[in-house]
Amino acid sequence: MAGAAAAKAAALSPSPLLEARGIEKRFGQTHALAGADFDLAGGEVHGLLGANGAGKSTLSRVISGHVRRDGGTLLWRGAAFDPSGPREALAAGIGMVMQETSLAPDLSVLENIFLPDLARPGWLRRGTWRARAEDILAILGQTSSLPLAVEVRRLSAAQRQLVEIAKALAVDAALIIFDEPTASLSPSEVERLFDVMARLRAAGHGLVFVSHRLEEVLAITDRVTVMREGRTVALGLATARLSQADIVRLMVGQELGRIHNARATMDTAAPVLTVRGLAAAPLVRDVSFTLHRGEILGLGGLVGAGRSETLETLFGLRAKTAGDIHLHGRPFAARHPAQAIRAGIAFVPEDRRGQSIVPDFSVRENLLLGHLSAHRGFGLGYRAREARVKALLETLELPQERLLDANMLNFSGGMQQKIILARWLLLGPKVLLLDEPTKGVDIGTRAAIYAMLRDAADAGTAILVVSSDFEELLGLCARIVVISDGTTSAEMASAVLDEAKLTLFAAPRSSMAATTRLLGELAEETGGAAFWALRDGGRLFCLARAGGAGEADPGFATGATPLFSETRIAAALGAAAGEAQARFIAEPDGGPHTLLIPVRSHRGHDFGVIGVSVARPPLPDAAAIARRVGDLVTRQM
Amino acid sequence: MSETINRRGSLRRLAARLEIRMLGLALVVFVTLSLASPFFLQTNNLLNLLDQSVVTGIVSAGMSFVILTGGIDLSVGSVLGVTAVLMGLAMPHAGILGGVFVAIAAGAGIGLFSGVLVARFGLASFVVTLGVMAIGRSLAYIFSGQNSISDLPPGFNDLVYTPILGIPSNVATLLVLYVLAWLYLTFTKGGRTIYAIGSNREAARAAGLNVLAYSILPYIVSGALAAVAGVLLSAQILSIDPLAGTALELDAIAAVVIGGASLAGGRGSIIGTLIGVMIMVMIRNGLNLLGVSPFWQGSAIGAIIIAAVLAERLVSTRTGGG
Repeated sequence: MAGAAAAKAAALSPSPLLEARGIEKRFGQTHALAGADFDLAGGEVHGLLGANGAGKSTLSRVISGHVRRDGGTLLWRGAAFDPSGPREALAAGIGMVMQETSLAPDLSVLENIFLPDLARPGWLRRGTWRARAEDILAILGQTSSLPLAVEVRRLSAAQRQLVEIAKALAVDAALIIFDEPTASLSPSEVERLFDVMARLRAAGHGLVFVSHRLEEVLAITDRVTVMREGRTVALGLATARLSQADIVRLMVGQELGRIHNARATMDTAAPVLTVRGLAAAPLVRDVSFTLHRGEILGLGGLVGAGRSETLETLFGLRAKTAGDIHLHGRPFAARHPAQAIRAGIAFVPEDRRGQSIVPDFSVRENLLLGHLSAHRGFGLGYRAREARVKALLETLELPQERLLDANMLNFSGGMQQKIILARWLLLGPKVLLLDEPTKGVDIGTRAAIYAMLRDAADAGTAILVVSSDFEELLGLCARIVVISDGTTSAEMASAVLDEAKLTLFAAPRSSMAATTRLLGELAEETGGAAFWALRDGGRLFCLARAGGAGEADPGFATGATPLFSETRIAAALGAAAGEAQARFIAEPDGGPHTLLIPVRSHRGHDFGVIGVSVARPPLPDAAAIARRVGDLVTRQM
Repeated sequence: MSETINRRGSLRRLAARLEIRMLGLALVVFVTLSLASPFFLQTNNLLNLLDQSVVTGIVSAGMSFVILTGGIDLSVGSVLGVTAVLMGLAMPHAGILGGVFVAIAAGAGIGLFSGVLVARFGLASFVVTLGVMAIGRSLAYIFSGQNSISDLPPGFNDLVYTPILGIPSNVATLLVLYVLAWLYLTFTKGGRTIYAIGSNREAARAAGLNVLAYSILPYIVSGALAAVAGVLLSAQILSIDPLAGTALELDAIAAVVIGGASLAGGRGSIIGTLIGVMIMVMIRNGLNLLGVSPFWQGSAIGAIIIAAVLAERLVSTRTGGG
């Protein structure tokens, strides 16, 4: 507890907790840090930004003792500091929450939190541990979200992160470095993490936030330091005075055009891939969409919604349990990837290191790996591809000499991703499936990857992109299919969407099953249509619909986003909301009679409306329906 | 100026190649033994060296295939034993070539069995081949009736000592098999797939390579080559002992590892394995010539294996090459 007290004292004192000046670090030929500066005060969240390879990870690892610096000065609480390893840094009060967690998966949460204690002589004090762990979780405001006795392997990514944070606090870390902490979190989990970070800041801890996600940087940090090519180009600027454009300019050192601009044109007359009711247990339940020639279609949704699994099923890496896939109008089901590749499908998986890169192969062989599997001969057939490889490297602006024989792992994430993308473009695929194509890729390279994808689409390739970055999806794709809990919840033009609405459709709804059941009951009892929708800016976003054929048809289906005037119940939708008494509203043109009941959670958040449309009187009892909707809200939302 | 830099660069690249470094080590062993023992350099002894390297060398080639995929084959020694016994039983009925065919087919079949269990059912190769090792040796005893088989046709011996282009045919077989293995692993789709599987199985799968088939194939190759080694060993001594090949797996694994292969898979080369075999055989031979007690030889060889691998690790981390 002495350390926590010291941290509070440090927060009050004006001198910074940590000061780094002119830090140098070389790895072989690479000059990873060439004069990096940084400082951090207690009670602040300090963003550390930079493109990939800018040196922010190396700098954090120097501070956390994982990497030893070659030069420069490092002051910790005003005294010179030169940790020989992470243990020494940890003992001094510097903890790190890693991108890939450093937890022991088979040990319990409690054992992981106090893992450093194992290095101490004497008996383990589990009782003391438990009490301290509960204190720590209370500080984090997460008392009930971490079961202490459970093995870490059974936790979600967000919970593991919490364990890492608790682990740092267990040794009274005054400074905690978060390296890309939000990469695998859903928006609500990010909210919770930020809540935790805010509490730590308030308690006087100094936090370093390393991230690519600019919105998050703007949301949580107090100051930012920007690095470029191993140097600090902006030290401790106040976040409040910066815009995203300012930060991007500092990171890439030049004015970028808007990253997302032109959208590829598609040929709606030529569906290439049609998917209906696809299921692959357990995560993919009911996915449907159509992908056209020359189109870039977005597959939005949250981590764990079944997006990656959908791509893997299409590519033959996962067995299909139900549904139909048509490729060029013919039924298609790949039982293994080689079959998909021969049919002209290519797949860039999310985990580059785990699923794409063959580390012992040169760049050349990595580049030709897709060719190798498509190649039918006994030999390698590399020579036949030589000219195409050369042309491709040129368009990718990759330096040809030395590149081909080099080790793949020597390159930054962005470069690696370009090479993996080139692996598949080399085959001239008809359908290109991409899973998080810009994950861990710096902004400059992102633009290049977008350009590559647009060129491929212009040449006729049909592209399906999965991304958690909704801004990227909206900018890159003309249409977006949203998956929530393994089920398609919407398929719509990105022009009518923004990040907020996309998030709404993507949010997994524990209430969805109960709501759908209620809609089904209402539709059956009234003989009309029942639907759940959001209203925004004269447009309707239909989350679910049941029943209502013929005259009762409200004029939109699940996932549709029509303007009010495009539906058959325009008058009802346009009628002033907030009437004290819910009642059926007739359409002037003889359309259906419609009852709209607003849905509000107990916290007062707007969850849209539940509507019932019937063809003609006699009208059902509006008050009874309103009561049932109210019951649903109390029980489920 | 720039030319010297270039030349130094290419020298460094050459030194960074693992085979070259291991060849250097083999030369050091060779020179040391030549100086230590006057008998080492005699033609007879050099021919002897080649002769002794045939069995270990052929088994190690098969072992390289398995280790490149990240697996291990502990059954090679007992596969050699049981296939040789089967050959001995078949030869009176099927003739020399028939007997040889039976042995190789049996070896390949046993390899297929292990390979399917490992690749299709996901069992650990260590465990599967440990089991096959025990079964193989037990069957060798049962089939042979616990006795050596020595009623082999006299022409069988020609299989080993008929010179081909002046080289004894067993040594020629060794060299041809290594050339074929090298060509296969370097210049064919299957060979590169084996490397890719060992280096990153998931990536190989996601790239659409036939991971299942090429995870099984190395075990078939290993079993078949163990049988080939058994054929040559039996022809050499014109007798088949159910104990033949005992502990051979250890020499083979050692040769592959000394040759620079990673037991995690994906890294290594067949040329390196051949050099590893030569180093092992030279050391055994040299220790015999120097009159070192056979009880001490095990310690000496064990120490040399560990020292060679440790030195290699230290060198390769410093130059950053692999």
